[in-house]
This record gives sequence, C-alpha cells and structure tokens, in this order.
Amino acid sequence: MEKLLQLTFSGLALGGTYALVALGFVVIYRSSQVFNFAQGEFLIVGAFLMTTLTSSGVPWPAALLVAMLVTGLLGAVIERVVLRPLVGRPTFVLAILTIFIAFLMRTAAVLIWGADTRAMPSPWPRDGTLSVLGARVTYNSIGAMVATAVALLAFFLLFRRSKIGIGMRATATDQEAALGVGIPVGRVFGTAWFIAGATAALGGVFLGMFPRVVEPNLGFVAFRAFPAVLLGGLDSPAGAVTGGLILGVLELLAQGYVNPALGSFGQNFHEVFAYMFMIVVLVVRPYGLFGRRDIERV
Amino acid sequence: MLEIGNLEVVYNKVVLVLRGVSLRVEDGQAVALLGSNGAGKTTLLRAVTGLLSIHDGEITKGAVEWNGERLEGLAPTEIVRRGVAQVMERRRIFPDLTVEENLLAGAYQRRDGEVRADVEAQLERFPVLAGRRSSAAGYLSGGEQQMLAIARALMARPKLLLLDEPSLGLAPKLVEEVAGVIGSVNAEGVAVLLVEQNAAMALDVADHGYVLETGRVVHDGTAEELREDRDVKDFYLGLGAEGRKSFREVKHYHRRKRWLS
Repeated sequence: MEKLLQLTFSGLALGGTYALVALGFVVIYRSSQVFNFAQGEFLIVGAFLMTTLTSSGVPWPAALLVAMLVTGLLGAVIERVVLRPLVGRPTFVLAILTIFIAFLMRTAAVLIWGADTRAMPSPWPRDGTLSVLGARVTYNSIGAMVATAVALLAFFLLFRRSKIGIGMRATATDQEAALGVGIPVGRVFGTAWFIAGATAALGGVFLGMFPRVVEPNLGFVAFRAFPAVLLGGLDSPAGAVTGGLILGVLELLAQGYVNPALGSFGQNFHEVFAYMFMIVVLVVRPYGLFGRRDIERV
Repeated sequence: MLEIGNLEVVYNKVVLVLRGVSLRVEDGQAVALLGSNGAGKTTLLRAVTGLLSIHDGEITKGAVEWNGERLEGLAPTEIVRRGVAQVMERRRIFPDLTVEENLLAGAYQRRDGEVRADVEAQLERFPVLAGRRSSAAGYLSGGEQQMLAIARALMARPKLLLLDEPSLGLAPKLVEEVAGVIGSVNAEGVAVLLVEQNAAMALDVADHGYVLETGRVVHDGTAEELREDRDVKDFYLGLGAEGRKSFREVKHYHRRKRWLS
C-alpha cells in the first residue's frame, strides 16, 4: 500500500513534467496546426540557462523567470525568422522544418554548454521529503505538481478568457477568415511560440531536478510526452495535462509492479508501456480523450 | 469613399482576372456588383481587403483608394482598422468558437472599451443569436450563421461593409431577411458593397449597380435603371413583368454588340 502511494506520487510529479512539455505542443498546434518537433530542445535550452543563471548568483525564482522569458523569446524569434515566411504552406512542411530546427538547437546547446551533466539547483533541500498518508513525497515532486497546476490554470484562462486566446483558436480553424476579420495572424503565431518556449523551460527546470541531472539527452523526454499529447488530444490543454499525468503514473506503476513480474524481459518495459497504452486508447478514441471533434451539421 | 480605378489583377502571375475595373462607393451608399461565376467579383473584394496575396494574386495596375488613402499593400488587419469590414463568401464563421467569441473576434482590432456593449447590441439586433450565445457557432443553421457573419463584421464598427454572396445557399424567406438586415445596416450610415448572383435581391437593396463580366464592368447605372434594362432582365433577373421567357429568344449577339461596343 505504501509502495503504491509512493509510486503514484512520484508518477504524478513525473507526469506533471510530461504535461508541461505536452502543453507546449498543444499551444502551437492549437494556433497553427503545426506539430513542433523541437519542443524537447526548448526544454534543454531552458534547463541549461537555469543552471548557468543560478551558478552565476541569480536567486532561484528570478532565474526561473529569466530562463522562461529568454527561452520564450527564442521561440518567438525562430517562428519569425524561419516559419513565418512559410505561413500558408501545407503544415507538414512546417512540421518537418521543426525537426531541423531541433537538430540545430541541440548542436548549438552542446557547443555552448558542453555535453557534460550538470546538477539542477533547487530552492528547497535536494532530497527533503514530506510525509503524505504515510508515503514519502519529495519536495521536488510537490514543486512539479504545483507548477503543472499553475500552468494548466494559466492556459485555461488564456484560451477561454483572453483576447489572444480567441485569436489563437480562430486562427487554428480558419486562417483566411481570421485575417479577414482583422486578427493579426502572424503575431498570434509568435505569441504561441513564445508561450511554448516558456512552458518548455519550466518543464525542463523541474525535469532536471534530483534525481535527474541536466544534459543534452534531457530533450528526448519530449518524445516521451508524445503519447501524452496524442492521448489527451492534440488541441486540448486539459487533455495534455490529463494525458501527461496518466502516463507518468502508469510508467512508474509499470516500473514498480510489471517490470519485476516479467523477469529479465521486463527490464525497461515501463518505457514502452506508455506507447502501448497510447495505441490502445487511440484505437478506441482516435481524436484522443479530449480532442476536438470536427463540428459538422448534417 | 471607396474608389477603385482601372484595377488589373493577375493570379499566379499568369491568369488575368480583372481587366481594368473602375467603380466607386460613396459614403453611406449601397452598391451592388452583379455578375455570373468567374466574372471576378470575389477577386475585386479581395483586392480591397488585402487577401489577394494569400491566393497568389497581385494587383498589376490601377488603384484602390479609401478616403484618399491607397489600400494596396496594406495588411488585412490594417484595412479592417481603417473601417472596411467584410462578410466572406460561405460565411466562414469560426465553428469551434461560441457565438459570443465569434463576435469578439470581429472586434479584434478595436482598442476602445465599448466592445462588450457592442456584443450586446448585436445580440439585440439578431435575437436568433442571443439565445445561442454560448453554444458553438458550428451548430447554428445556415441562416443563423449568415446573421452571425454579418454581426461579426459589424463588430469592427465599419464605415464600409463588403458582402460576398450573402444569399448563397439560403431559402428565399431567409434571403429576404438577409436583404432586410443589409438595408437596415445601410440605413444606419454604413456604406455597402454587395456582391451577388441574386440580382433581384441585390438591386432591391442597392442604390447603384455594376455588372461585371469576364473581368470588365460592362454596364452600370442606378438600381432603377438596371432593373428596367433589357439585358440585365434577360440575364440576371429571369422572370420579368411579361412573364416566362425562353432563353432561345434571348439574342446573344445583340447583347455583345451593345456591351462591348
């Protein structure tokens, strides 16, 4: 029982970081229908920036804000320079282009920060824990869960209540009509990339915390977040978070219970488990758990 | 005042769609632009609203002037900000957004604090929409969607409203209703440029009309004159006062001679 709780809490924390990465996919997909394969690289940049900032003496909260801001701006610049000229082309062209952006960013990150691992500083004791219902939950896990909750709330308000949110959703459904009613479509895309970058940085910071470290391979976590987005539905922030949390918990439960039961075959089985689960869900609900169904009058 | 002078538009650098079109919409006037499929009516509207470039179209000659300012080369959002709003062909409402959000999207360029009040005003003008304000616009009927498209355009507080085939796909009763709405908008001082294939409806609403054929204005006059014109009657109004008439009796050569002379 205690093991179950323990695994669930760690799973929720891991799932929270998946969710943050997934939210980045969603915000870009939702405004431009482009799948951004470079999301994981934004995460690396954000995490490395954070280590650089804190080691040069910037206080933790300020460093987090600056890292998010700079990564966000990087996203906006990449959108403006590389993707804006291609607006209106088929979206798969832009998606392919993001793969190359990913390679460039990864290489640049290695050139700037090197391939060595670094420890991600945290504002609380590294392995401090809190006892919840008899299970020991690390401060890091709690931090990740809180950050996810705050990010989800912010996304909800952004899409549902703000003007730019209406602009994003309008642009996603009909670019020409959005232009026609006076929505500056280019600026909407730029904002989406800024938000995606900033969220990725937030995810990178929490992902790089103990027990993990910051290194270029951190970016591959973005691939682990794919099932989360697809599971939740590509255009739903609530879906991304739910998908992320479900996968995080499933992954750790599989690691704790299924792997040992499978013996030597079960080594790292939890890593594929997420994808298997995704396939099963998509067979039953092709648009994901919360995905948008096309509205069609009959 | 909108003034289009000798406008020439080419698509994909090859297809010449408008060949020197001139027309004018005075402040507060309602102007109808008639013509059959492929005459270049939608292209003309795109040239005004700045949407040509996303269709690979280009203005190669002539000018589009709005209150003395050239509109060519301005971004669509800038043109909306200057008071030219449009209702696009096939309505093009945002199906996933609610009715209210569609209206807010129409006011995107506005910076004043009266947007909320205008939403209420539009919902009052279109009672059918008021009851559905928080449901997804995609579930509205065709007529309701057309009303929403018009209301969304009005949210920009335009001085000129461009409408592309607002009667398309609507039942005769709804066409009448749309015509009534356009008339009342015009009566409030908003100039209207109405592109239509339904000439009877368009000439009812408009003060002045132009007939566009293969990229040229072949005829223009007051709505009165056009309604009485024999060629317009034969080709666009169909049934006249003298009752049903066979198209066999319409003399094409006669028409060509008169319009292209």
